[in-house]
Amino acid sequence: MTGWKGPALSAPVTLWLLLAFAAPLAVVILLSLQAGGDPFAPLIQPLSLAQFTEIAGDGFYFQVLSETILIGLATTAISAVLGYPLAYWLARMPVQWRALAFAVILIPLLTNVVVRSLGVMLLLSPDGLINSALRLVGLPTATRMLFTHGAVVVGLAQVFMPFMVIALYDTMQSTSPRVHEAAESLGAGPAIRFLTVDLPLSLPGLRSGTVIVFLMSTTAYVSATLLGGKKVMTIGMLVMQEAVANLNAPLASALAIVVTLTGLIFAGLCTWGLNRAMPWRAGKPGEPVSLPGWFVTLAETLGPTLSRLLLTASIGLLLLPLGLVVVQSVNDVPLATAAGFRGFTWKWYEQVLFGGSYTASFLVSLQLAVVSVLVALALATPAAFALARYPFAGRSALLAFWLLPLSLPQIVIGVGMLKLLQVYVAIPAFLGLVGIHVVIVLPFVIALLTTSVQALDRAQEEAADSLGAGPVRRFLMVTLPALAPGLFAAGVIGFLMSFGEVTVTSFLTTARMTTLPVRIYSEATTLEPTAHAISALLIVATVVTLWLVGRVVRLDKLYAR
Amino acid sequence: MTPSRRTFNKLVLGAGLAAPVHFITPVRAQPKKGDELVVGIWGGAQERIVREHVEKPLVEKYGCKVSYVLGNTLERRARAYAERGRPSFDVIYLNIYESREALQAKVTQAPSKAVPQYEHLYEPAKIGGYGVAFNPCTIVYDGRKAKKPVTSWKDIWNDEWKGRVSWPEGLGTEGIAALMMTARTFGGTEKDFDMVIQKVKQLKPFAAIHSSQVQLYDMFDQGICDIGVEFASFTRKYAETKNPNIVIADPVEGQAISMNVGCITEGTRNQVLAEEWINLHLSEPCMLAFAREIYYSPTVRNITIPADLKGKVLAGDDIAKMVDFDWAYINANRAAWQRKIDREIAG
Repeated sequence: MTGWKGPALSAPVTLWLLLAFAAPLAVVILLSLQAGGDPFAPLIQPLSLAQFTEIAGDGFYFQVLSETILIGLATTAISAVLGYPLAYWLARMPVQWRALAFAVILIPLLTNVVVRSLGVMLLLSPDGLINSALRLVGLPTATRMLFTHGAVVVGLAQVFMPFMVIALYDTMQSTSPRVHEAAESLGAGPAIRFLTVDLPLSLPGLRSGTVIVFLMSTTAYVSATLLGGKKVMTIGMLVMQEAVANLNAPLASALAIVVTLTGLIFAGLCTWGLNRAMPWRAGKPGEPVSLPGWFVTLAETLGPTLSRLLLTASIGLLLLPLGLVVVQSVNDVPLATAAGFRGFTWKWYEQVLFGGSYTASFLVSLQLAVVSVLVALALATPAAFALARYPFAGRSALLAFWLLPLSLPQIVIGVGMLKLLQVYVAIPAFLGLVGIHVVIVLPFVIALLTTSVQALDRAQEEAADSLGAGPVRRFLMVTLPALAPGLFAAGVIGFLMSFGEVTVTSFLTTARMTTLPVRIYSEATTLEPTAHAISALLIVATVVTLWLVGRVVRLDKLYAR
Repeated sequence: MTPSRRTFNKLVLGAGLAAPVHFITPVRAQPKKGDELVVGIWGGAQERIVREHVEKPLVEKYGCKVSYVLGNTLERRARAYAERGRPSFDVIYLNIYESREALQAKVTQAPSKAVPQYEHLYEPAKIGGYGVAFNPCTIVYDGRKAKKPVTSWKDIWNDEWKGRVSWPEGLGTEGIAALMMTARTFGGTEKDFDMVIQKVKQLKPFAAIHSSQVQLYDMFDQGICDIGVEFASFTRKYAETKNPNIVIADPVEGQAISMNVGCITEGTRNQVLAEEWINLHLSEPCMLAFAREIYYSPTVRNITIPADLKGKVLAGDDIAKMVDFDWAYINANRAAWQRKIDREIAG
C-alpha cells in the first residue's frame, strides 16, 4: 500500500509554496478583483470583475496577448531547433571536455540579461557583426533588423535557449550507447538514428524545455523592451507598466492572471500532445514509422551539414553577444553604449574590484543562491518522485500549483510582496529573499528532476531490493547516484536562476542586502560600462570554476551514467 | 526691577499658552554614533559622487553609517508607497513628477528651512522636495544628417527626419518633455492631449522608441536614428567623449524642465541626518562635482560656476527659461494618457 507516499512526498514543497508564494498570489488575485486603482486602498474590498471586463472589452489587450503568444511560440521553436544540435553535441562530448563545453550554456546564464540583450543589439545593428560579415562576403546587408518582432525573438532565444538545452541534454545523455549501436547495426546512419532513436527518447526533455521556454518568454520584459525598442509590446511589458509606472496594481494583476492562465493552458496542451507522442511511457506500443527512401537519402546527405550549421548558429547566438560584452569591458569610453572601440583601459575593472561594495553584493548573491538551491533541491526531490512514481488524486492540480510561479510574471510576485511589505519587513531580509528565491527556482528544479526520475532505470533498484538492500540503502547507493546528473543539472539551473534574479529581488532588496544583479541593473540603467566589467569577470569566473570543479570533483562522473 | 503682579500674571499666562508647543513640536532626536541613514539612489556616477561629497562629511561629523538601496526611481517609488508611514528609506531620490506625486500622497515631506541651503534654492527646486539637479530635456541630433541646425521643436516634423526619429517612451521624464513641448509648440497646453497625440502620430513610423539615454546613444552610434529628445546633461557628456557629431539643440520654445529631487520620507527616524544629508548634497563641492562629471546644473544660487563649465550647465537666468508644466494636471491624467500612447504611438 503506497497510496500515502505521493501526498507525503508532495507535502514539503506544497507547504513551502503555501507559505512563501500563496500569500502574494492571493494578494494578486484579490487585487485583480478590485474595481479601482488607488495604491493605498485596502486589500479587502467588494469583489469586482471590472479589470477583467476592461481587458475582455478592449481589442488592444487581445492584440498584445496574441503577439506575446506568437513571440513565445517562435522563441520556443527556435530554442528547440538550435537547442537540439547543441544538446546532442554536449551529450556526445568526450567526458574530459564536457565540463568545459558546458560553459557554452552556463556562461550566458551567468551573464546579466540586460548586458546580454545589449550584446544581441550589437549583433543585429546596422553596423553589427552580422552585417559586417555580410559586407565581407559581398552580400546585401539588412539594415532594419533591430526593434522588430524578429529581434525580440532572437533576443529571447539567446536568453532562454540554455534552459531548453539543459532539459534536452538531461534526457539525451542518458541514452545508452547500445541503443545507438543497435540502430547502426540495423542500417541507420547518423541522421536517421537521430530521427528515430534520439528524437523520440528526448521527448520528455523537449516537453520540459518547451514549457519552461514558452512560459518564460511570454512573461519576459527586459529583452523585449530593449530589442523591441518599445515598438513591440508584450504582456510582460504592460504588466510592468501598470504595476510600477502607473501604480495600477489591480489592472496589472488582472493582466498577469490572464497571461498565467494562457501559459497554463499551453503547458497542459503541450504536455498532453507530447505524452501522446510517447505511448511507450504508458506501456503501449509505439506506432511503427516508415520513412520514404528519398527522405532517408536526403536526410543522410544533408543532415550532417545542417546539424553542423545549426550547432554553429546556436553557439554563435549564445557566445557572440558575450564576446562583445568582454570587448566593451576594456573599452575606454565613459558610457555604456555599445558600438566603437576607443582605446584599451582597465579602469572599469578597477572600479568593480576596488571601488565599492561589489564584493559584498557578490557574496550576498552567492550565499542567497547556494542556500536557495539547497532548499529547493531538498523540497523538489521528493516532489519529483511523487510525480513520477506515486500517482495520486489531485496530482495534476498540485503540479499546476507548483508551476504557477513560472507562469506568473515575476513582476507580479513583486507586486504581491509589495502589498505584504508591512508583514515582510518583520522577517529577516535574508530569510525573506530565500523564501522568494526558492519559489522562483522550484518550478525549474521540479520540472528537470521529474524528467530525471522518469528516466531512472527501475531494474537497478529492483536488483538492489532483491539483493537485500533496504529502502534507505537502496536510495543512497543506487537511486541517488543515478539521479546525480539530474540533481547537478537542476542545481546548476537553480543556482543560476537565483544568482541572476533581479525583478522581484529589486523590490525586496534592502540597504544591507543588495545582490549583485540588482547592482548591475542599477549600473546598466545609468551610463557606465562597469556592468560589462562585472559580466566579463563572471564569465572568467565561470570558466575557471568549471575547470577547477571538473578537475577536483570529476564532473564527468556526474555526467556519465 | 521687580516685576509687577500684572506683568507676572502675563508671564504665567504666556508660559501656560506656550507650554503645549512642547507637546506638538516633533521630536528632533539628535543623531547618535552608529545611527544608519538609508538612501535610495541611482547607481553609477550618482552613487559615487554622493559617497564622496555627502556620505564622507556626514559620517565624519556624526559617526553614523550610510547604506544605499540602488535602482531606478520606479521601483524605489513603488517600495516607498508600499511602506508609507513605516519607511525603510530615510532619503529617496525621485524625478520631478514623482516627487510631487509622492509629496501629495504623503509619502515624502515638503521641503523646509530646516535644511539651511533651502534658502538658496531656485524657486522650481523648492517644490515636491529639495531639487538637487536641473537636467533639462531637449532635442538632440546628429549634426551631419541635418540640412540646417535645429532651432525649434517644430523642426522634428521636417521631412528630412522622416523615419529617423526616436521618440522617448510613454510618460517617463523625457516622454513628458517631448509631449508637453509638442503641445506648447503647436499652440496648445497640457489640456490639449488629443492634439498632441495627432501631431506625434504624424511622425510615424519612428525609427525606434527609446526608454533610456543609453539606448538612444546606441542608436545614434549604429545609425538607427538621427534625432531624439533627451537630457542635455548626459548627451553633452556623450557628445564630448564619444560622438562629437551629436548636437544639443536650444530651441526657441525653450528646453523642458527636468529635475532630480532629494526627498525625506514621512516617518523617517533619522530626520536630522536626512536634513543634513540634503544640505550636504546642496553644498558647493557636491553640486560642482555633479556639474563637472555629468553636467548636472546646480539648483542653488550660492554657487560659483567655474569658467570651464559656463554655457554647459544652467545658472541664474537660464533656470527661468526652462519650460515648466502643470504637473498636477499631468499626474492626474497620467493613466489615461498612457493608454492613448500605448494604442496610438507605441507599437
